[in-house]
Amino acid sequence: MLMNNFNKIKSLAVVMLIPAVGFCQEQTTKESSSYFTNVLFLTLLVTIIVLAIVIVAFSSVFKNIADSDYLTSKYSNKKEDNSSTMRNVTTVLLMLSSFAMMSQEKVVAIAKVDDGRIGGLDQFTFYFMLAIVFIELVVLGLIIYQFNFLVKTHTVVEATSKAKKVESKIIMSLTDAVAVEEEESIMLDHDYDGIKELDNNLPPWWKYGFYLTIVVSVIYLFNFHVLGTGDLQTKEYEKEIAQAKLEVEEFMKTSANNVDESTVKLLTDASDIAAGKAVFIANCAACHGQLGEGTVGPNFADEYWMHGGSIQDIFKSIKYGWIEKGMKAWKEDLSPMQIAQVTSFIKSLKGTNPPNGKAPQGDLYMEGGAAPISDSTAVIGDSLAIQIKADSLKSTAAATVTTAKK
Amino acid sequence: MELQKFQYDNKTVKMFAYATILWGLVGMLVGLIAAIQLYLPAANLNLPYTTFGRLRPLHTNAVIFAFVGNGIFMGVYYSLQRLLKARMFSDLLSKIHFWGWQLIIVLAALTLVLGKTTGKEYAELEWPIDILITLVWVVFGWNMFGTIIRRRERHLYVAIWFYIATFVTVAMLHIVNSIEIPVSFWKSYSWYAGVQDALVQWWYGHNAVAFFLTTPYLGLMYYFLPKMAQRPVYSYRLSIIHFWALIFLYIWAGPHHLLYTSVPDWAQSLGVVFSVMLIAPSWGGMINGLLTLRGAWDRVRDNVGLKFLVVAVTAYGMATFEGPMLSLKNVNAIAHYTDWIVAHVHVGALGWNGFMTFGILYWLIPRLFQTKLYSEKLANTHFWIGTLGIVLYAVPMYWAGFMQSSMWKDFTPEGQLKWQFMDTVTKMIPFYIARSVGGALFLVGAILMTYNLIKTIKVGTFLEIEEDQAPALVGEYQSHSKDHWHRWIERKPIQLMIVSLVVVAIGGLIEFVPVFLVKSNIPTIASVKPYTPLELQGRDIYVREGCYTCHSQMVRPFRSETARYGEYSKAGEFVYDHPFQWGSKRTGPDLARLGGKYPDSWHYNHMLDPTSMSPGSVMPQYPWLLEDQLDANSTMSKIKAMQRLGVPYPEGYDKIAINDMEKQAKEITANLKKDGIETLPDREIVALIAYLQRLGKDIKSEGLKTQK
Repeated sequence: MLMNNFNKIKSLAVVMLIPAVGFCQEQTTKESSSYFTNVLFLTLLVTIIVLAIVIVAFSSVFKNIADSDYLTSKYSNKKEDNSSTMRNVTTVLLMLSSFAMMSQEKVVAIAKVDDGRIGGLDQFTFYFMLAIVFIELVVLGLIIYQFNFLVKTHTVVEATSKAKKVESKIIMSLTDAVAVEEEESIMLDHDYDGIKELDNNLPPWWKYGFYLTIVVSVIYLFNFHVLGTGDLQTKEYEKEIAQAKLEVEEFMKTSANNVDESTVKLLTDASDIAAGKAVFIANCAACHGQLGEGTVGPNFADEYWMHGGSIQDIFKSIKYGWIEKGMKAWKEDLSPMQIAQVTSFIKSLKGTNPPNGKAPQGDLYMEGGAAPISDSTAVIGDSLAIQIKADSLKSTAAATVTTAKK
Repeated sequence: MELQKFQYDNKTVKMFAYATILWGLVGMLVGLIAAIQLYLPAANLNLPYTTFGRLRPLHTNAVIFAFVGNGIFMGVYYSLQRLLKARMFSDLLSKIHFWGWQLIIVLAALTLVLGKTTGKEYAELEWPIDILITLVWVVFGWNMFGTIIRRRERHLYVAIWFYIATFVTVAMLHIVNSIEIPVSFWKSYSWYAGVQDALVQWWYGHNAVAFFLTTPYLGLMYYFLPKMAQRPVYSYRLSIIHFWALIFLYIWAGPHHLLYTSVPDWAQSLGVVFSVMLIAPSWGGMINGLLTLRGAWDRVRDNVGLKFLVVAVTAYGMATFEGPMLSLKNVNAIAHYTDWIVAHVHVGALGWNGFMTFGILYWLIPRLFQTKLYSEKLANTHFWIGTLGIVLYAVPMYWAGFMQSSMWKDFTPEGQLKWQFMDTVTKMIPFYIARSVGGALFLVGAILMTYNLIKTIKVGTFLEIEEDQAPALVGEYQSHSKDHWHRWIERKPIQLMIVSLVVVAIGGLIEFVPVFLVKSNIPTIASVKPYTPLELQGRDIYVREGCYTCHSQMVRPFRSETARYGEYSKAGEFVYDHPFQWGSKRTGPDLARLGGKYPDSWHYNHMLDPTSMSPGSVMPQYPWLLEDQLDANSTMSKIKAMQRLGVPYPEGYDKIAINDMEKQAKEITANLKKDGIETLPDREIVALIAYLQRLGKDIKSEGLKTQK
């Protein structure tokens, strides 16, 4: 908590600048550093920072104009309005940052629940960051609107000379330009169909920006191709796979999900069968029929199997596929638990005699022991009950996951 | 000095303006139909000619080469004469140029809907049209340089530098990328294969954007913007630097379209860094445009043409900042293959090219017809509808692209992919609908403009004879000591052209030569074999139907892709792919490792009705593939052409290829029969199944062997 407070104070100091800084500091201390390897997170973070910088830049420019002598002397009555808008903008920014502060704690709490991830971020972090981007855009829009309003007041009320002085102050310092009213001094003798050319200097920010991109490019090439310090894509890929493997292993250690073809058991719970059915309809029905009657792929309701009809064999067929026969491997798409569920569902189809059943393929398979067939067929009929049970299972599963992670 | 009198050729300008409007409407309408098909596949009326795979190339070709192309010529023919104080060199050449270009467009439209395509994006047109394009382009250059030689203005204005660079570079790009071996009058194979083809194609594709959509339009901006604003150009020095830097750097950036593909790492890195370095030169043009308006912003309020130009230049700035950002590998990893890219190019196309063209038309047509614009109010309405259209188009596409990419990359904690590809497709539908609304608004704006301009034309009288006078150029130029050094080349059009050509040739040469000559760039894989005759025929059907417009064939080395599709793609796998079919957009899933994933009968049913095999699919139906007979007679010439390209079929194989083809077709038919599907072995579907079942298998079997 002390750490937390410290962070709050520190962040408040830079509050005008980047609400997100505090946010990611929080992340580093509490969570692992994994968010910093997440591309989506980094992209959002960079967007937030860039927008924040733009906001600060804009508002300071805006404040400068609002406070300029020119306005004070000429439109002292208007100045009140302008500074109050400035205050408003600042307030919005402060509110925004305190909102950021408040939410940080929430993030840490919520980040533990892992369902509904978006691009590797949990939903809250994603939408939170998106919200910051959005609010920043709104603030930016407000500032630009106010800025426009201010400039318009100039042009409407003021003829030319004085207003341009203000324009020159800001733009000229950025562009190193000669003022419009003195531009005759840099007018070249070029005249193309009435088009003349000025000889203004290259805008310094543009010129140095150009140099900067060149320097960055040289460093980039050195990093990847001369010093070899950066990972090229194959290396990057190997690292990504290794990292993912570690994470999955870590998760599996504590997960009830840890089944494979040697340990799989027939599941008889109605909720498991229902979950299996859902997976079946979504992924298998296209080739094996809605009722497992077989279309492109074989019939599951008969007693004949092309690659063995035991629970282990079917599990294996789904997991690794039979590529040459057109059955794809599903191990990347379905979790071991899901494969076990869909296998159990398929086992439950035996003897259901769906209409338009495909002719038997493969060898007759006889069950060793008496499988609880009648049990599960009864369950299929009662889909409503299954639905309810499935939902309750889902929440318990989620709860298990959460506790497991703790 | 004696003043010479001469007349401007306004007639050609007028004709190009009419063509711009007409093809603009056609191109946008086709785009709108294609956009609607993405959520309503039946909008193709179940005709082969109007399927997405054929309409999409038609849309891109129409808006790029017909709408923007005619827009370029309109602006160049108007500004060039006035900037040089000379009539166009030859009325005959102008006529040939105009009608030749329109003939190309009509031929393009006909051949594309008939499925005659090379299968290379933005270069789909077949070889006879390619030759025609080259000839007409030479006529354009001839006419332009003839005018330049006969000029009455000593120095060339910056707009003309851009026109010259456009002329030489487009000629170079078009010729190099279109080298192909004809098989028949409407069929050819790209001379390059796989990685090399990809590199050449995206060198072309990227620089078609640079030198067809950007440099000529910058030239137009340099003429029409100061003209409309009646202000001097902001900085002559900035124009010099940004012109040379832009044309030099642009050429290198092509490989940023191929990040994380099988293109060698060093080439990708060049694509990245040169894109990053492009920010400043691109923005140089925007700055010079916007700062030219210093002290004239009140005119922007009153002049609707100028208003369009300001938004155009701003859109240009946005797109050219976003481009380099998208070229960063980590951003590209998210955005590539998604609708994000579609949003990006449309900010450029609708904003920069579209609005620039509209702005010029609103200014030009009243001048050509010596009258005022029929309705300023209507033009303002167009401006707001168009802007709204762009926003409504871009925002949903940005959102959709980002969302879909995130879903593709999502894993469950158990390590499985969280979403089936189909889940991500169905999530796109609302965004596709919103996008088509944005596109429709943009089109409505263009229709309002057409009406407004027709009314203007009806009221006015065409300025057929516009006289001007200027002294002739006599003798050598006496240079002043205080002249900028760059003034020298502005007096020497031929030297300017040659130097431009050298500057733009460097990047391509440095990137191509090693990829063509150094073997380590494309490591050979022994198990990769040429396509069988039937697979080759199937591949040609794949190309004909434009499958590459929605499906990539390139698995990138990401966990999320190898988990979904299989082993990532290797450079050596594509050595017999003339042309390469890596694609650039995944509206449907990647197909690089499709072979053997599903049974033959799955493909048969899927082509008949995709939703039967994958519910929710937005792929159109291809029933004609089941009916149509394969053109078996072409097999011999196709194999022969491949042999000439260096594909190692045995000597004399072309004569017996047809036997192998029939044999393989019978096997597939027998296979289908087992699943209860009766079909004849000479149908197109059989060839297509053969090709789809081959995809990515060469190293798949190898991989399995090593695993055992």
